Amino acid sequence: MSETVIQVRDLVKKYGDFTAVAGISFDVMKGEVFSLLGPNGAGKTTTVEITECLRSLTSGDVRILGMDVNKEALKIKGRIGVLPQEFNAFDFLTVKENIEYFGGMFQKSLPADDLIKAVDLGEKRDVWFKKLSGGLKQRVGVAISMVNDPEIIFLDEPTTGLDPKARRDVWAVIQELKGKGKTVILTTHYMEEAEVLSDRVGIIDRGKFLALGTPHDIIEQYGTGSRCIISSCDEVCALSLKQQWPGIERKEGNIVIKLENKGSLPEIIYTLDRSGGNYEQIQVTRPTLEDVFLRLTGKKLHEEEVPKPEEKRKFFGGKKKEKGVA
Amino acid sequence: MANRILVALKGEVKTFYRNKSTIFWTVAFPVLLILLFGAIFSGGGTGKVDIAVQDLSDSPASHAFIDSLLQTGSVTVTNVNKSVNIDQYIKDNSPYAVLIIPANFSEAFPGPNQQLTQLQLRTDPTNSASGIAYSIVAGVASQYNLAFAQGTNWIMVSMSDITQTGFTYIDFFIPGVIALTSMTTTIFWMVSVMTRYRTNGIFKKLTTTPITRYEWLLAQILWQLVVVFMSVAVIMLVGVLVFDMHLTLTPLAILVIIMSSALFSSMGMIIARFIHDEETASTAANAITFPMMFLSGIFFNLAFMPEWLANIAKLLPLYYVGEALRNTMVYDNQTAALNNALVVLVLAVIFFVAGVLLSKWKDE
Repeated sequence: MSETVIQVRDLVKKYGDFTAVAGISFDVMKGEVFSLLGPNGAGKTTTVEITECLRSLTSGDVRILGMDVNKEALKIKGRIGVLPQEFNAFDFLTVKENIEYFGGMFQKSLPADDLIKAVDLGEKRDVWFKKLSGGLKQRVGVAISMVNDPEIIFLDEPTTGLDPKARRDVWAVIQELKGKGKTVILTTHYMEEAEVLSDRVGIIDRGKFLALGTPHDIIEQYGTGSRCIISSCDEVCALSLKQQWPGIERKEGNIVIKLENKGSLPEIIYTLDRSGGNYEQIQVTRPTLEDVFLRLTGKKLHEEEVPKPEEKRKFFGGKKKEKGVA
Repeated sequence: MANRILVALKGEVKTFYRNKSTIFWTVAFPVLLILLFGAIFSGGGTGKVDIAVQDLSDSPASHAFIDSLLQTGSVTVTNVNKSVNIDQYIKDNSPYAVLIIPANFSEAFPGPNQQLTQLQLRTDPTNSASGIAYSIVAGVASQYNLAFAQGTNWIMVSMSDITQTGFTYIDFFIPGVIALTSMTTTIFWMVSVMTRYRTNGIFKKLTTTPITRYEWLLAQILWQLVVVFMSVAVIMLVGVLVFDMHLTLTPLAILVIIMSSALFSSMGMIIARFIHDEETASTAANAITFPMMFLSGIFFNLAFMPEWLANIAKLLPLYYVGEALRNTMVYDNQTAALNNALVVLVLAVIFFVAGVLLSKWKDE
């Protein structure tokens, strides 16, 4: 775990007058899952695309596996795997053919069938890429990003636009990668995804890191502590709670109390019980990266997207073909 | 229903006027066509048919006849020496009309030995000038018959193909079709593939692998070669089966087709480099291939165009492809074919290098 595979120092990227990345530095260690978390336009894709040798940098120093991205792009490309944002493969090639196509671009490549197994696409092996759903396409993308048996795998928003089930399937594949000891760089604007999958997270906004560390540490450091929420609380309850905890907040008929320590919760329950008033339920919430982000930037991490339903009917007649077997 | 149609229509209108380059090409294309055909047909060219005349008679009568031809104002005459083998002359100079005045020409006129003479006019049947050449020569001949023999046809005009190989119309036409195919197939393929792969992100994925643009473009050109030769095979097959074509592909013709495919594939790359939107790019490809189609000498002879237009035509790559193929396949004029082929080669190299340097897989 101690070997540094990615080293970024004072990275700056400007597009004309616009600064997309405003001087960021970080290291990624071998075998870790590192996530860049941020809203759209925060600079996370620009950052990873520079580390993937897809974009030039304005200033700074970026080293992948010890190699300079400015000088050894071709060598680096041979040793990393990339799932670009909005990934697409060849519509009229099958899953297997697509994997073999991209495998052919590298000096060494893993057998397509092994990769198909790794992303659990056995049944779709001989189906045209265009016939696959969004989630399955992303899994093909992950398989292709592994085709050269890379040391580092970059996954740029692998689950954006997927429905919750498909998203979890992709997570399972990423956890597999982690299990195999691969280094994974993930960008996402889903905080849950970052929390579940990552060893470390960098929260990025307007091209700068706001926080960097393990999800737990970040929440500890920037979070507001756990809270107890008592919903539909009547005046009797509210009064006796207020006597003991003067700092309580009232939100839409609910009462929110910060939990200072572990003993606070039994005390609250005891107080409520003794007051003889009515309340509906007691809930304890732990702060999330989302809360941290809201606190750090004053904005929401992302607006929840409604995944597009699969297209059921073709606009211009014709029966939908079921099989895309070549 | 009317409302939905209106909504759909409105959407298209907005999409149309917000895409400035579509507007440009949509307007540019018809304007280009008007200017093109206007220029081709509006005269201003010499409009004269150049006839190579070999005067075997070399008599006052034949001189008078040539003068009469010139007086029509519709021809220019290139004199071919009596001693020259006319077939060799045709091979070396690829004229599109040759008139041979027979040695007994002066005997067509009233006198003791009056006899029938036959003027021989040999033309390239696909060339629009050949019909005109025939009308003029036959017209002057019948005037002579009227004036000197009260209408009896002592002077006859026979018309035959410029080459003596038994070629037919289709043989003269095929090289042009092959040249055209090598252009349209490749340009449209490159433009459509490149704009599509850029839009759907395949180029982006490719940039994450070690393949270089140069390697990828070369693969496309090789594929285009296969496609073009499939088309050529079909063209030849139809020519043989349906039209009894006699042509064969000479080695030089094969080379020219290869170079031409590379040249126009590269041109497609360059178009796709500058126009990112799929529909606009195909309109632009049309706007670029159309003028070449009509200015390359395949359908209209350059001699009938105003000089400035003919000069522009000679700047267009397709002209040289057509000339090279016609010279090697029809006229067997290998020197001229080679010269034209060299021009195609130089252009192919220039366009390929430019295509590789200019083309981008992603937008920075």
